Amino acid sequence: MRCEQMRENLDAYLSRELPFENRREIARHLENCPECAADLAARTRLRQQLRAAVRATSVPSGLETKVRGAVRAEAVRPRTGLWAVAAAAAIVIIMTGVGILRKQASPEDAILQKTSGPLAAVLKVGLIDHLHCAVFRKYPRTPAPPRQLSAELGPQFAELAPLIQAKLPGGSYIIEAHHCTARGRLYTHFILEDGGKLVSLILTPRQSGEAMGGSIYQTGVDRFQVVGFESHSYLVYVISDMDATGNLQLSAGLAPTVRLYLAAHTG
Amino acid sequence: MVFSRRPRTDEFEKAAIPHLSELYRTAARLLGDSAKAEDVVQETYLQAWRSFDRFESGTNCRAWLFKILVNTVHHHRRKGFNLRLVKDSEEVLQQAVAPAAPIPEQITEGEILRALDGLPVDYRAAVLLADVEEFSYKEIAGLLDVPIGTVMSRLSRGRRLLRDRLAELARSYGIGQEGGR
Repeated sequence: MRCEQMRENLDAYLSRELPFENRREIARHLENCPECAADLAARTRLRQQLRAAVRATSVPSGLETKVRGAVRAEAVRPRTGLWAVAAAAAIVIIMTGVGILRKQASPEDAILQKTSGPLAAVLKVGLIDHLHCAVFRKYPRTPAPPRQLSAELGPQFAELAPLIQAKLPGGSYIIEAHHCTARGRLYTHFILEDGGKLVSLILTPRQSGEAMGGSIYQTGVDRFQVVGFESHSYLVYVISDMDATGNLQLSAGLAPTVRLYLAAHTG
Repeated sequence: MVFSRRPRTDEFEKAAIPHLSELYRTAARLLGDSAKAEDVVQETYLQAWRSFDRFESGTNCRAWLFKILVNTVHHHRRKGFNLRLVKDSEEVLQQAVAPAAPIPEQITEGEILRALDGLPVDYRAAVLLADVEEFSYKEIAGLLDVPIGTVMSRLSRGRRLLRDRLAELARSYGIGQEGGR
């Protein structure tokens, strides 16, 4: 029995993951038990063989050059291509003020700088994540399997996914859901596909100084429509490249579900 | 809000390129396809570059790159076929606590890799990250976005399955047939 318990811990011992006391106990046991010592030697050998086998994989010639080339191409691309796109885009700004585009801004920043003013700042919180995660990181536009969603969302938000799916119009579905971080802030992010449009439903814990009261706010920034509201210590956003009416209708459909869920699942 | 300037590519390359071979070999073992692994590594570097202005220098660049790699592999796998892991079945649990079997000493690298590639992907990822890339259990929990207890159980089962597969091989060589442990 004692040996069996020891052996369960031998791999963690090898990985130096055991507390000092347990390490010492195992070391003492190994001195007096040739069988366990042999088992440890076998595990050590296997690990060395495994490491050597995997590390023997050689990197294809040319991969490093390809990677460097891709990064350099990407480094120059946004300043030319996306600037042209940004300049050509019909820019709708309902909120106050127009940010001035600066040369060094990334494509995300270029869009974010088009918002300003105190209320715009709170709506920008959601837009940051939509741009960072949904727009500039491309996800395959296929429905995500429900089990996948539960696994990604964890216990607190797992049950929200089917409730959202149930509220979506026909032909719309969740393509991705996860927790993510953008600019140091944690978001819970559902990415939806709605008739060819990319939609984000974003939740993030409200921080001090951020408030939208009981109202639903709407703004248009660049090609994006942003709806934001506050619910149970969270800021909630629906952001898409739909038109303003479409985005607001979708938000109105989702808001009660999200509010009820947050009421039941937040302290 | 202060917007940082885009960092220079040479700074990025200096920090990130040294990890290319580790990232590639991990991707190759997780995807089982060298061409896909190349694509995923390239995508990983692009993602990393795009968020490099938010990467805090002095923090662990290797872990940051592996985190992006793991996510990219995950999305890549989903594109074709959902291979989210086998259930933690009773059978696997039983195997995990069964006594150790002998492993052939004359085993080849090819045989080890075949046995490794046969593990369910979540177990394979845990074993690769811990036993080959030598991340701590805590770091792996962060990379895979799972609790540390899950890392420990995947490792325990993954290592166990690997030993069992190699022990089967041993039996085929005629080792350990007299009922030895």
